[in-house]
Amino acid sequence: MAEMWISMGPQHPMTHGLWTLKVKVDGETIVDADPELGYLHRSVEKMGERRKYFMNTTLTDRLCYASSTTWTHSYVLAVEELMEVEVPTRAQYIRTIMLELQRLASHLMWAGAYMPDLGHITGALYFWRDRELFLNLLELPSGSRLLYNFMRIGGVKRDLPDGFEEKTERILKLFEQRLDEYADLFENSKIFRMRTEDVGKFTGSQAMNMGITGPNLRGCGVKHDLRVEDTYEIYEEIDWDVCTREAGPGYSDCFSRYMIRIDEMKESVKIIRDCFKKMPKGPTMSARVPIRASGEAFRRTEDSRGEALMYLVGDGSDRPYRWKIKSPMFTTISACPHYLKGYKLADIPAIMGSIDICIGETDK
Amino acid sequence: MTLFGLCKTMAELTADMFIVPVLRFQRNIFPPFSYPAGDLADWFASEGGIVTLAWIYAVNIAFAVGMTNLILVIHLERKIAARIQDRRGPMLSFRAFRELGEDLAGEAPTWRFKGNYSGIGIIQNMADGIKAITKELIIPNKADKFLFSMGPIIFISSSVFLLVLFPLSDRFAASAAPAGLMVIMAAFSIAPIGVLTSGWASNNKYSMIGGMRSAAQLMSYEIPLLLSMAGVFLLAGSYNPVDIVEQQREATWLFGLPMWNFIPQFIGFIVFMICILAEVERVPFDLPEAEAELVEGWTTEYSGIRYMLFLAAEYIRGFAGAAVATILFLGGWAGPWPVPPEIWFLLKVYLIIIFWIFIRWSVPRIRTDQILELGWKKLLPLSLINILIVIFMVEIYPYFADIVSLPEVF
Repeated sequence: MAEMWISMGPQHPMTHGLWTLKVKVDGETIVDADPELGYLHRSVEKMGERRKYFMNTTLTDRLCYASSTTWTHSYVLAVEELMEVEVPTRAQYIRTIMLELQRLASHLMWAGAYMPDLGHITGALYFWRDRELFLNLLELPSGSRLLYNFMRIGGVKRDLPDGFEEKTERILKLFEQRLDEYADLFENSKIFRMRTEDVGKFTGSQAMNMGITGPNLRGCGVKHDLRVEDTYEIYEEIDWDVCTREAGPGYSDCFSRYMIRIDEMKESVKIIRDCFKKMPKGPTMSARVPIRASGEAFRRTEDSRGEALMYLVGDGSDRPYRWKIKSPMFTTISACPHYLKGYKLADIPAIMGSIDICIGETDK
Repeated sequence: MTLFGLCKTMAELTADMFIVPVLRFQRNIFPPFSYPAGDLADWFASEGGIVTLAWIYAVNIAFAVGMTNLILVIHLERKIAARIQDRRGPMLSFRAFRELGEDLAGEAPTWRFKGNYSGIGIIQNMADGIKAITKELIIPNKADKFLFSMGPIIFISSSVFLLVLFPLSDRFAASAAPAGLMVIMAAFSIAPIGVLTSGWASNNKYSMIGGMRSAAQLMSYEIPLLLSMAGVFLLAGSYNPVDIVEQQREATWLFGLPMWNFIPQFIGFIVFMICILAEVERVPFDLPEAEAELVEGWTTEYSGIRYMLFLAAEYIRGFAGAAVATILFLGGWAGPWPVPPEIWFLLKVYLIIIFWIFIRWSVPRIRTDQILELGWKKLLPLSLINILIVIFMVEIYPYFADIVSLPEVF
């Protein structure tokens, strides 16, 4: 068969959002690929320059529906650096718990979306069933199911409700039990491994050159996690490890990227438990939060999908003069021709699914 | 009494009591049209007319039985899939009807169902059918309109044709072709042509790749499939389903237990079960309609009742595939006496179908190159080994057993 271009998207089951992947195929083999982004651009940064600092948390919540609290947290950290606000310790603990719950929900969302990509509908329902548990947990303190607006400049919206720790512990125990059950259905399944192993390979150095971060980089065996490297909140007081996985010497494939997220979920469970153990009493909001700021601030945090970078410039007014967001998925999707070439057409959903696409934050 | 004998009696009765008198009456009151009507009346009174009528009855009965089973299979698939996925499955269709009635009448209808709604989800199939009929039949602008309409006809008619080809027992059979299983397999292999036709005619790249995949898949599984069947044919010495089942019924094992073909030909059974799964295009081998990368594969551009009939035809093929597997390897309708043979047959068929449903909802889909590799590199040698085993059983062992007086094992 002659070579031809196939346009996948903007509405296609593979895209997990709104973007176009143009692939050039020779029969079933991918010869070239060309991602096209920008269908979901909402000009969040420009909108943010017209709003006051504390108003922007509603925008950052909507950057990624699967992982909204981590993005708000990233923004809030940058504003706190700009305004030089001290956050109470208890608020930091609550933030860490919320972040890790959000990471669990986000990874479960990803795992559920990844399974239909491989043709496994049941997996989606299993993982989304478990995600619902964590959404319920996130709903308890924040009051909403998906877009929490819980992180505030100088602290958090409110303290954790009564009985939150017990409920969390119950759900975590159930969740760990279920993850072990799922192992037989997914990572020990022969066909699942046939589809994911040796597919979509890239090495750690390639990933760093292409700007791929987060679990996709740690799946190559690179021990890089901003929670440790550029630590924030109370991650250095907590007892946890950075997980890494690799498919072979220094490279990752779809299976290692699947496993690294499963490992990270188990690690998040550990962090949440340790947070509850060490959490002190005290206020959850800083006593004094200014509304005006000047200067510039730059913070980077470990989002569920990679490095979320926030750059803010204040000109002394109550609104940011310039606000720049760097999303991890933008660079990862842009690099897709490098790790798609040479594989089969049927591998496209397997590869693009395994890097955990979220178009909301990519197009901003 | 066989199905055909019953149908012949019915045909005689209807011809005597209804068709011939009506045609003769018509000839009497419309003399100018007497010649064709008169010929027809005479023909229905003759042996040829009655046999033709009997065939029509037999085919219709087999078709009705098959369609009833189709509805049951679809419902079973939905319910079991739902239970696997921690859901309840279709069970609330009457509520939808009731709400529709309330909307139309502007008030609550007089009839209501007491208690819970469980157990009536099977009419969801009728609701889906009604919905599909009311949808528009879209033909894309640049599609090849003739082939676009021909594709579904080839696929669906060849699938429905399967329903009348396999016997439910030695007495319940609409067709009794001596090469019955060859005809069934030939009818099975027509469908990929329909898939290729509709994939090409849709003028859509996804559809075309789906059609091409179907052709590639046909190449890879059809050969081991037929080779694994060859072992059974050698053992029975016939292509006729009735003979094959009789051979399995007579073969015994330890303590007089029946030795159905899946025991001596276990390798062939495994190869056949994998290949028939590819033949009926179910997960993990539903590559032509891989919804993750090809949207809906070769059915992407089809809508309305055409799309629904594609789905129905796939279930018919699944049912027919399970029936073939039962005849070849599970002893067909052979079973202990008090249960009628037709029920035995259907029980075995449904066992296979339930097994398939469990597979479908617990594994991912495999890739095109992987199924080609599986077909050519693994299943083909295995099916040849199976044939060697059968040749040893049928020819070589009896030959030497005669010479050195070994016990008769097979």
